[in-house]
Amino acid sequence: MKPMITRRTLLGTGAAATALTLATPGILRANTYPERNINVYVPTAEGGGADRNFRAFSSVWKEKLGTDFEPGFYPGASGRVGYEIYMGKAEPDAYNLIFGNMGPEVLNWAMQAPSFDVNDYFYFGQVDKDPCCLFVGAESPLQTMDDIIAAAKTRRLNVGTSRMAHPASIGLLALGDKLGIDFNLIPLQGGKSTVAGAVTGEVDFSVLTSGSVIAAGDSVKTLLVFGDNIVGEALDNAPSINDAYDMDLPEMLSARAFGIHKKAADDYPDRLEVLTSTFRETFDDPALMEAYVANKGTPEYLQYAGIEECEAFKQSMLELGARYRSLLSGA
Amino acid sequence: MDSSTASILTEVFFETLGYWYIIVPTIFLGLIVGGIPGFSAANTIIILMPLTLALDLQSGLVFMISLYCAARMGAGIPAILVNIPGTAGAAATPLDGYPMSKQGKGQQALAISFVASCIGGLLTTVIALAAMPILARVGFYMHSVEMIVVMLFGISLIASIAAQDMVKGLIAGFLGLMIGSIGTDVVYATPRGTFGFLELYDGVPLIPALVGLFAVSEAFVIIEKRVIVNHDNEPKAPNWTDTFDGVRIALKRWVHIVWTSIIGLVIGVIPGAGASIASFVAYQQSRSFSKTPERYGTGHPEGLIAPEAANNGVTSGTLVPLLVLGIPGGATAAIMLVVMQFHGVSFGPSLFENQPKVGYGMFMAMAVSYVIMFLTILPLSRYMSHVTTIPTIYLAPMIISFTLVGGFVPREYMFDMYLALAFGVLGYIARRTGYHVAAILIGVILGPLLEKYFLWSLKKSDGDIMVLFSSTLGNILWVAFAMSIILPLVFGMRRKRKLEVPAE
Repeated sequence: MKPMITRRTLLGTGAAATALTLATPGILRANTYPERNINVYVPTAEGGGADRNFRAFSSVWKEKLGTDFEPGFYPGASGRVGYEIYMGKAEPDAYNLIFGNMGPEVLNWAMQAPSFDVNDYFYFGQVDKDPCCLFVGAESPLQTMDDIIAAAKTRRLNVGTSRMAHPASIGLLALGDKLGIDFNLIPLQGGKSTVAGAVTGEVDFSVLTSGSVIAAGDSVKTLLVFGDNIVGEALDNAPSINDAYDMDLPEMLSARAFGIHKKAADDYPDRLEVLTSTFRETFDDPALMEAYVANKGTPEYLQYAGIEECEAFKQSMLELGARYRSLLSGA
Repeated sequence: MDSSTASILTEVFFETLGYWYIIVPTIFLGLIVGGIPGFSAANTIIILMPLTLALDLQSGLVFMISLYCAARMGAGIPAILVNIPGTAGAAATPLDGYPMSKQGKGQQALAISFVASCIGGLLTTVIALAAMPILARVGFYMHSVEMIVVMLFGISLIASIAAQDMVKGLIAGFLGLMIGSIGTDVVYATPRGTFGFLELYDGVPLIPALVGLFAVSEAFVIIEKRVIVNHDNEPKAPNWTDTFDGVRIALKRWVHIVWTSIIGLVIGVIPGAGASIASFVAYQQSRSFSKTPERYGTGHPEGLIAPEAANNGVTSGTLVPLLVLGIPGGATAAIMLVVMQFHGVSFGPSLFENQPKVGYGMFMAMAVSYVIMFLTILPLSRYMSHVTTIPTIYLAPMIISFTLVGGFVPREYMFDMYLALAFGVLGYIARRTGYHVAAILIGVILGPLLEKYFLWSLKKSDGDIMVLFSSTLGNILWVAFAMSIILPLVFGMRRKRKLEVPAE
């Protein structure tokens, strides 16, 4: 009679049982994820645009995900502090996410490399996108793009921007390249000052994300959008830079998105799947638009983008940042 | 003003008075948050945003404005009593307010501060309302070149302070300017002097520096005494006389209140300029044209009136660019903009045509708040001043823990608490060795602002230094600045000569 259990069977069964035992917690975790609140690192100050945007989106997303979000605000150094803390201190377990801006914050890395590898995190879901634009003060003598081009032939024009490493600055420099104009960028430190600079004549005109420009109302007039003008009248029906000057510039955006450690995605692909699928579902819920508009979002700017689109945008920012690095960083 | 505007104003005034049940509790809330270092009207409105958004437009407006005014005034209370300026706008208040408290005149100082704040705030609200179209134009002329001179008005205070001990005063001032230059540069964001700390990339955070230099160092000093009040100035039993004395002293100097509050108003209407600039410039101007400049810094009422009237003048000033141009003049005004837009109010030139009651309503809410504040807060000075009689064995630890938390609040970084302690030690060493902490602080607060305007000007002119003398208004301000430095010297020499004549 052959023995019921051979040595080989025993070892094989043992190995299978061990593998199953080791795998079980992972499977259980996958089935129960998320089993606790998710921390979100916001690299800007509480009460700002990112905060409002985050609260609007997470108020709907948390219903799909079945857990709550706990934001932590880490402002400073144009977002650098928040990212450094996220990448340096947060556990890469998909319970820690970052809610950043793929435009200006990624440009930072092109100007001055962070302490971590920029490919060690990626954005998996864009909440909204806000194209940058060029605008003048209501009382400015420059009221059309032709006025600006004509004035630029007589003197070097001073152009306000929120900060040098900003997608709006790149949009302007690309326009300058196309038209052969050398614009003088003046970093006015923040959206409010950039609008004020154009309105009061501190600078000849300014470039900024369009949401802030729309909020300034009649005090300003938009002349050009560094992307698609999907809000029409709100931006004075200004044309897109690509249409107006036959260019092929990627959209220069402020685009807020959730990001995650690459290690978390590699170690817990199932968790990433839960995050991305519920993130996508959130966009199908009409409650999101209500929450977004209630938090002063421009409805047209609420636009989904997934991992691939976000990564493409991140890479384009890094490339453009590297191309204009000397002009934007003085290096 | 035409009859329709007058009738709207009257109607709005009485409507606003009807919101007393919102204004009174908000005033007390504002006094508390204003008095706590690190808190301000801006972050309180953010925290209470759900409540603010839930209120109807008029109630939300009245709530925000009352909170704004009360918080501004509240910041002066701990600055006077225990040398803790809760915000940068109150940084000049303890220069003379705290010495008054140490002399046992805390109650009087509070009364002076309340009168100067309320009258200054009320007066500038009326002026802002009447001269709004003109004031809204100030920002069109005050650009970076002009602001450099305004900054120099404030920074020249270092020289005044240094007059008592020139070498030590200038060393302290330059140390402050050096600390103020820590952080990334304005143009290319290149880090300087950050010692690798990311937390210093945006510069030395103001509140930890403020509370460290003034309050923490003071706590180290007072622990060696029994009470804050000097031994030869033991506090009297609470009485109304000191309050009335304070009111009388302040009212007697009504011209001073008017003058310095208008300085605050004009600086307030410039987008980006703020109460810290206004209070130092007002203090400097007040001292420069005083008949008794030597009394400043020793508990002189005029040295207290100037910053308090000026920073409340800023409060009404910041509303002008917000309402007329749609540009918020400061952080609180920026948050108001968000809340008002939520209610569908669009700011800018069309506001007074489309929704005049909203535009005028904000100024009326401010005026009514100041009136109610005067009536409700003044009697409290009698009780508030008791803080100075608490034994320092209890008070000093309270000040340290209170201010360290205050240092933590704005950014919620432990780093900022350590920084406040470090500044406390620096301030203590400065006090013990005869260096003036105010000179350090002026450098820390105004240095980065001066640098910002200076670098903007240079960037705009491609590095041409002559840009500093390129505008007519700028040149007028340069002359005024030179006069404000030279004239006091001339007056001083003349006074000295007059005093010497009878002796001969």
